[in-house]
Order: sequence, then structure tokens, then C-alpha cells
Amino acid sequence: MVPQTTKRSQRDFRKRDVFYLVPLWLISLIAPDPYLYHKKEFKKKDLYYLGAIGLAPLIWSDPHFHHVMVLAGIYAILALGLSLFMGYAGQISLGHAAFFGIGAYTTAILTTRHGFSPFVALWASALSASAVAYLIGRPILKLKGYFLALATLGFGEIFLVMVRESTNLTGGVIGIFGIPWFSVTGFSFDTYLKQYYLIWGVVTGLFIFSKNLIRSKVGRALLAVATSEDAASSVGIDVPKTKLDIFVLSAAFAGLAGSLFACIMSTANPEAFGLGVTVPIVMMVILGGMGTIYGPVAGAILLTWLMDILSRYQEYSLPIYSVILILLLIFFPDGIGTRLNVRILYLIGYWAKKRKRDEGKL
Amino acid sequence: MSLLSIEEITKEYDGIKALDRVSLKVEEGSIKGLIGPNGAGKSTLFHLISGVEKPDSGKILFKERDITNMESHERSALGIGRTFQTVQVWGNMTVVENITAGMHRRLKGSLFSYGLWLPWIRTSEKDALKEAKEILNSLGLLGKWEAMASQLPYGKQKLLELGRALAMKPQILLLDEPASGLTLSEIEQLSERISEIRREGVTVFIVEHHMGMVMGIADEIVVLHNGELIAEGTPESVRRNPVVMEAYLTRGSAGTRDRP
Repeated sequence: MVPQTTKRSQRDFRKRDVFYLVPLWLISLIAPDPYLYHKKEFKKKDLYYLGAIGLAPLIWSDPHFHHVMVLAGIYAILALGLSLFMGYAGQISLGHAAFFGIGAYTTAILTTRHGFSPFVALWASALSASAVAYLIGRPILKLKGYFLALATLGFGEIFLVMVRESTNLTGGVIGIFGIPWFSVTGFSFDTYLKQYYLIWGVVTGLFIFSKNLIRSKVGRALLAVATSEDAASSVGIDVPKTKLDIFVLSAAFAGLAGSLFACIMSTANPEAFGLGVTVPIVMMVILGGMGTIYGPVAGAILLTWLMDILSRYQEYSLPIYSVILILLLIFFPDGIGTRLNVRILYLIGYWAKKRKRDEGKL
Repeated sequence: MSLLSIEEITKEYDGIKALDRVSLKVEEGSIKGLIGPNGAGKSTLFHLISGVEKPDSGKILFKERDITNMESHERSALGIGRTFQTVQVWGNMTVVENITAGMHRRLKGSLFSYGLWLPWIRTSEKDALKEAKEILNSLGLLGKWEAMASQLPYGKQKLLELGRALAMKPQILLLDEPASGLTLSEIEQLSERISEIRREGVTVFIVEHHMGMVMGIADEIVVLHNGELIAEGTPESVRRNPVVMEAYLTRGSAGTRDRP
């Protein structure tokens, strides 16, 4: 895109053109390539993203920034798992907060009552969340569309009720306190900066894992199931198993996120795992764009920041938040990632034509 | 020994018999055509063979093995490939991904080996891509291998669907009206392609409205009418069969194109 514009401007170069080119070049670094966004291999741009994530906390050494980014990272893990299930396999789940909660409670119970280390609890959380997902996924994944949405919503509510009522195990509405910091072989993640690198390290690992999935046989099977189940089974794709596998995997992601969340907040209580979590992560996936895995991570960062900034405005925060969400959904219905490119292309075209129009050629 | 044999199969929809004790055999290495006026039960028969629906009674044998109660994807794993009447390519994938997705059952490995991108996954994915490009090349679609499948014109999508079915290396290929909506030159290309497929050792079972095409390439033709098998034989004998003539002529809805 950029070199083409340069070539043309060689004819009648104006100093002002530079001011157009610099921001365009910067945007081209960040925004995915609009024509080749469906190419799924790793690109140089990924290193750029990784560098930005790695350097950001060193440039902004504000602990509040670190903490918000830690939360954003936890949401990013949730959104990443959900986007495999929603954006790729084309299913819907409104019960992912429950898997998040299962992960958090598993860690809370194992570390505070049985003295396991958080590192062991992390894996146990992923396992328990995926085990529950397997058990409920077998029957309910036969449902489609609205019915699946309702069934998963119901599962989320049942989980909340069970947590509130089984006081002995989960501490009821009060929850469990005093969960230790996350630590591996004696190294404790006790500052916000360390936690930042812990969380975003996990996000990076899971991101690479997901990206490997979607650029291979598994991702193709997911996309096939989303578009046409008849065609998918006609080439030998086991549709129910594909759906179940990815449901279990996304639950495992949510379990990991829950475990990390419990270690960072050092508490687990039912308030944190209700619809108040489900709706934002579904929004992150939708806003980020279905059928991409960069989108949900970007959506997670955006929405977490939005919530943080708006929390200053107290009682006006929720109305402003919802208005912004509605506007984003109106102007970027396919997600901020994909749609942004179309907008930028439109603007570039508009500028190019404007010059011709000014010269009276069009 | 016949590759696919259907024995006394019956299917009812709300009391209307879509298929009434139909029996037929498809020999290995042949091209068999299935024709009949609209509503004769051709598509129903195809759905039953590929496993989208289950018959009320009767048996379907593939390689002497009873597949009547198997799931659709298990049948494809045995080597039954198919295309659809209304084209069903995956528009959300690129052209080459549509083909590699067709190789699904031939690529091995668990979810985790794919997520960790283990060395043998890397080579198998690379080989799959190479093979997919060869298939695209033989179909004349290689120039568009990176385009989204939804951007292809209708005729090319039909070809792509055929390529996807070939990518799974089937033993029998069920083609549901492959020529519908294609131009004459595209139909000629398709006929050539189907003959080539047979030469490579794949049995073809084809439902078609376009008489010229199916008469030209099929070794044997069966005629369905109101859910019953009314004629079977070489294209020449079917063309002369008075019962077939009558079946087609009494159906006003069948256009001139449909007449043998």
C-alpha cells in the first residue's frame, strides 16, 4: 500500500503528503493486512506485537497500568478460548464465566486448604474445568443457536447457585480469602510488574497454541463445522467430536485464567463469576471480530481499559460504557480488527480521489 | 463383486413413499448414472447412501459391509465421497484450505500435537498443502488458491467441491447434479474430468438432469420414477425404453431438456 502511494507522489510531491504517509505507515504496522488477513501463518508483524507487549510495562512504569493490563491479560485468555468456540466453530456459550469460576475455586481450595503449590493448582484448575466441560458438553452441544445459548446460560446460573449454597466447600457468598501469590520453584510473582509478565507470557503461549490450531487441520475442521455440518461430515469430519473437543479446550483456557485470577486477587467469591464476566468476554470476542484470534486479545485490552477509565465517572460509567459499545457495534459490526482496515482503505481512496477532484479531473 | 449395493430400500415422508423397495448395484470402476423426473426420489437415495438420512427398511452394503446405520462421517471414512446439489463449499476458508480440509481423515494427530506444532505435524501439513496445490492445478484453479472460496464464481465453486471430494481419496464418488447451473463449455470440461477420475480408479455414481452429459459418460443408467426403479441398462437401451419415455412425457413439469 505504502510504496504505491510514494510512487505516484513522485510526480507532484507536496510536503503535506508526508503527513499522510507517516500515520498510514504506523497504522499499517499495527493493523492486519486487509487483503491477506485470512493468511494464517506467523508473520513479522507478530514479533512487533510481542515487542510492544514486552516493552509496554517498562515504558509506562505506573503500577496501575500494570494491574489493568494484568486484568486485560486474564480477559484475553478467556476471550481467546471463547473465540475458538464462537468465532471459529460458530457455536455460542454464555456459560464461560462458570469455567472461569471452577478454575478459581479449584485453585482456592487446593492452595488454602490442602497446601498445594499454585503451580500444581494451575494445572488442576485447567483439568477440572475441562472435565466439567466434557460432562456438560456431551449432552448440550447437540443443541444449536439460541437453545445452546440458553443451555449454557443456565449452566452458568446453576454453577453460581451451587457455589453460594455449598458453604462448607466454597465459603458461600463470602468466598475464600488468602490465596497465595503465584509462585514457581520459590520464585514468587508478588509485584504487579512480575504478574504482568506472568500473565502475558501465558497469553503468548496460549496464543501460539491457538494459532497453531487454526492454521492446521483442527482450524479447518472448526471453520467447516461452522459453515456446513453436512459438508463437514461428507469429508469425514466427526462433527460432534470436533465441537466437544474445542468446547473442552476453551473451558481449559477459562480454567487457567480463573486460577491465575484467584492467585492475583487472592480471593475467590461468587460475585466475580456471574453474568458480569460472561457478557464482557462475549463482547470482547464480538468486538474483536469473529474468526480471528488477534481480535479478541485487542478487544480484551480495549474493553478492560474502557471499564477502568469509565470507573472514574461513578454513576455515569455504565450508561457511557453501553453507548460506546453500541456505537462500536454499529460502526464495526465485523469487529474492530477487520472493519478498521476497510475504513482505512476507504479513507486512502478518498484522499487519492480528492486530489484528482480538486484538479478537476474527476 | 459390486462396490455398493442397495437392497430393497424404502423411505417414507409423512406417508408418501419417496423410495419403494429400490435395489441397485454399482460395480467397481464404473460410472453409473441415475436419472428420473423431478420428485422421483433421486436426492433421497443419495441422502440415504451418504448417511444424511436413515432408511425405514432395507440395507446398504459398501464393500460387502453393512453401512445402513453408520453415521455420515464414518461412511466418508470408509471411502464414500460426495458433492451436493446446492454447492456447499466453505466460503469462510480459502480455496486451498477447502481442499486440505477435504484431506481431514488422512491427516493424523491429536489436538495437542497440532497446538504444539510438533515436527511431524509440520511435515504432514506441508505435504498436504503441496498435494492440495496439485489437485487445484488439475482442476485449473491454482491461480486462485489464496482467494476466499466465497469469491469464486458458481461454476468454479462446483469444481472446487469436486476437488474437495477427490482430496479425501474416495473409492466411490457420489455426484449430485454436478452440471446444474453450469455453462455448456463448463459441462464439457466437467465430463472430461469425470472420465479422468474413473480412469484413476474411482467409481462414480452420478445423479443428473442434463441428459446429454449423463448419456455421454455413463456405462449404465438407472431410471427412478415415483420412488420406483423403472429401467436399468446401457444409455442406448434406456433411451429406447418405452416406459422411460412415458414417465418423462407424462410429467408436464419436466422441461424439454429432461427428455431422453
